[in-house]
Amino acid sequence: MGNWQTQPLTLPSVLAMVLGAVIVLVLALGVVTYTIYVQRKLLGWMQLRIGPNRVGPLGLFQTIADIIKLLIKEDVVPASADRPLFLLAPVLAFVPSFLVLAVVPFSAHHVFTANLSIGVLFYLAVSAITIHGVMLAGWASNNKYALIGGMRSAAQMLSYEIPLGLSLVGVVLMAGSLNLNDIVLAQQHSGWWNVIPQILGFLVFLVASTAELNRTPFDLPEAESELVAGYHVEYSGFRFAFFMLTEYVYLFAMAGLCATLFLGGWSGPWLPGWLWFAIKVVLFIFFQFWLQATLPRMRVDQLMTFSWKVLLPVSLVNLVLTGFIKAFW
Amino acid sequence: MGGKRGNDVSLIDEQNQIRTEEMLLNVGPQHPSTHGVFRLVVKISGETILDAEPVIGYLHRGTEKLAEDLQYTQIIPYTDRLDYLAAMLNNYAFCHTVEQALELEIPERAEYLRIIVMELQRVASHLLFIGTYLLDLGAMSPFLYVFADREQIVQLFNEICGARLTYNYLRVGGVKWDAPPGWLDKVEAFVRYMQERLSMYDELITGNEIFLARTRGIGVFDTDTALAHGMSGINLRSTGFRWDLRRNKPYSIYDRFDFEIPVGQNGDCFDRYYLHLLEMNESLKIVAQALQQVPDGPVLGKVPKLIRVPAGEYYSGIEGARGELGFYIVSDGKDKPYRMKIRKPSFLNLQLLPKLLRGQNMANLIAILGAVDIVLGEVDA
Amino acid sequence: MIGFLKGMRVTLRQLPKKKVTLQYPDVKPEWPERFRGVHRFIPELCIACNQCARICPTSCISLAGERDENKKMKITTFDINFDICILCDLCTEVCPTEAILMSDTFEMARYSRDDLYLDMHWLYENEQRYEEAHPERVAEKAGRAE
Repeated sequence: MGNWQTQPLTLPSVLAMVLGAVIVLVLALGVVTYTIYVQRKLLGWMQLRIGPNRVGPLGLFQTIADIIKLLIKEDVVPASADRPLFLLAPVLAFVPSFLVLAVVPFSAHHVFTANLSIGVLFYLAVSAITIHGVMLAGWASNNKYALIGGMRSAAQMLSYEIPLGLSLVGVVLMAGSLNLNDIVLAQQHSGWWNVIPQILGFLVFLVASTAELNRTPFDLPEAESELVAGYHVEYSGFRFAFFMLTEYVYLFAMAGLCATLFLGGWSGPWLPGWLWFAIKVVLFIFFQFWLQATLPRMRVDQLMTFSWKVLLPVSLVNLVLTGFIKAFW
Repeated sequence: MGGKRGNDVSLIDEQNQIRTEEMLLNVGPQHPSTHGVFRLVVKISGETILDAEPVIGYLHRGTEKLAEDLQYTQIIPYTDRLDYLAAMLNNYAFCHTVEQALELEIPERAEYLRIIVMELQRVASHLLFIGTYLLDLGAMSPFLYVFADREQIVQLFNEICGARLTYNYLRVGGVKWDAPPGWLDKVEAFVRYMQERLSMYDELITGNEIFLARTRGIGVFDTDTALAHGMSGINLRSTGFRWDLRRNKPYSIYDRFDFEIPVGQNGDCFDRYYLHLLEMNESLKIVAQALQQVPDGPVLGKVPKLIRVPAGEYYSGIEGARGELGFYIVSDGKDKPYRMKIRKPSFLNLQLLPKLLRGQNMANLIAILGAVDIVLGEVDA
Repeated sequence: MIGFLKGMRVTLRQLPKKKVTLQYPDVKPEWPERFRGVHRFIPELCIACNQCARICPTSCISLAGERDENKKMKITTFDINFDICILCDLCTEVCPTEAILMSDTFEMARYSRDDLYLDMHWLYENEQRYEEAHPERVAEKAGRAE
């Protein structure tokens, strides 16, 4: 199928686009379903429990049962909520999370995804839209805890967007391209993955991406022990499912981005490209769950201080160093 | 709700500053971090707490009043339900007061069994503090680890007295049952196991940078403040004041054991957490020594079938898991107390909370409230 | 930075460890002999002395007896209002004939409070259940009594 994006819009190409989108959606849903399952199993094992085990063999259908439960639940909109915004928020949060998957190269050939020449920029720009959904949810719920949660997550996502972006610039400098596939190819050519020359950038990326994903230790927006559930405290049923879906699709997308930018994407010896990609994604996701099992939560003010006073300078230093290296070698 | 929508309230006041609104937030009675049914009415501006007012009484059962209509033996199961995480210590505090009033002689073996169950209970209670405190701060795993360990203590208690939470094991003049065969060996094995686990907790929690940042220098108060508010137990010791009734006013047979009273230096949340960990170690040391010395013999002294406390007023306090736990009994010579008053350490430790919270942010609220270590069954009694 | 890596090592080490979960409804817990579950009651032994009803802190026991042809007290009604029983075990402690004892029945969830009003027959059935489940404990006791 290769290069149908550059050709004029015809019926077959429209069909191909729709087909590609549906396949990626199904893939994303499948990955999310089993990411949640693996998360619960792993956390269980690390906490001397056995995790889900009742639905299906080894509890494999647990998440599916949960999804069905959420879908058939009563759709509650609080009477004093701002109704249109309340309904809009989950959609606004979810759509960008799915859109960003369009640029992540799952394998050597962009079979179902777009070979966008501004891939990195697209990812950053589109993922920022989710903040609006989260903020709207916090505001429209007309709940104090939700409001605090929404404000916290807006502040947090905005602060961490910057070090995240800057850590990506280092990689872009190395490859000389914003196209994610070109970045993978550049890594393949240079013989080492970006994680080695860009180790500083990689560490900044790991921290900033964890914060972007609102995962432990940066899960303040939904800090259960403080804010009960944060911005989605008033949501239930399939609207709540949308927020959860957003969270896990982003986890998948961020894992894909991490694998692509720092771990060589689909490149690797012997095994097929998609398998290499899957292995790297799983590693990133495992790391996130491992963090979740170990760490307590940070405090709001510490979180901001850490972003602006530690991560930002480090990523700038990384950028300058990368620039020097690129200029003299 | 925070803002007003659609009306003409200006967002800028005369001094050209952005107008902010105070918000009244109800933390509890149904809130994951209030450790029971505790309500805190917090006035916040943004995330900064301007004022906090604890509202208690949701779990009030009138234990003190009920006791006036109960014989002394019948009161013991009620004391189980005060601080339900340390029922053995409550049992003891009550029995001890009555024994002092009656000037009873307690058999040696009973005293040792009491020491063993009380110190195990202290370990169980402190373990739960660590688990719930870390859960409040957002770490999930320690909570499940402590429950797995506490389960072993609960099982030991289940074997010796047949209950897992409300033991009703101690009696005026001794204990209900002797230890079943092999029980003491199991305790010994548990003590060794637990000492290992404590170093695991130390490794998992104490060095964690995020944990340190969340607890160091948070919720600080000094010895004078603590004493002025009637605080006791770890809350008082965290300020560096060495005051432990097991050492300062020895009761039972605590003068026979060799143990330390760890104290903190800064009086902050971290000290309070760390003292819990250190105290568990000391408690295990006491249990190990008691196991070495425990003699054979009867476990219940000569007690009249119907206990009548001579007329008068009696008070005795012991070092509970949360501070000085005391029972004050006024007797008119009948088989029921004329009036019973419980000195509830959780209740007194809670009194400083509004002062500590003022000026803090929402996340610190949880850290401070958790470190004070209250049990609502005791606060509300 | 070392501190949190140590913690990470601790959690990772738990991964292959044996799990403590008890698959509850499938696997029932093993209660020790002294476990204080719902009462069991042996009517033949009861002499209707009323001591258990008097010691009960929540007054949940009510009983009545009558004299039989040999002028011995026999129990006719023995009810425990399990709604308010706190399982303190004081009734079995004072019972001179060990007619009331604790069993290891612990699943007492009911749809109605009325179902928690346990009469003599229920308690005796509970005794029979207990004897069936733990023949060795009952035999041991009989051996001691003789």
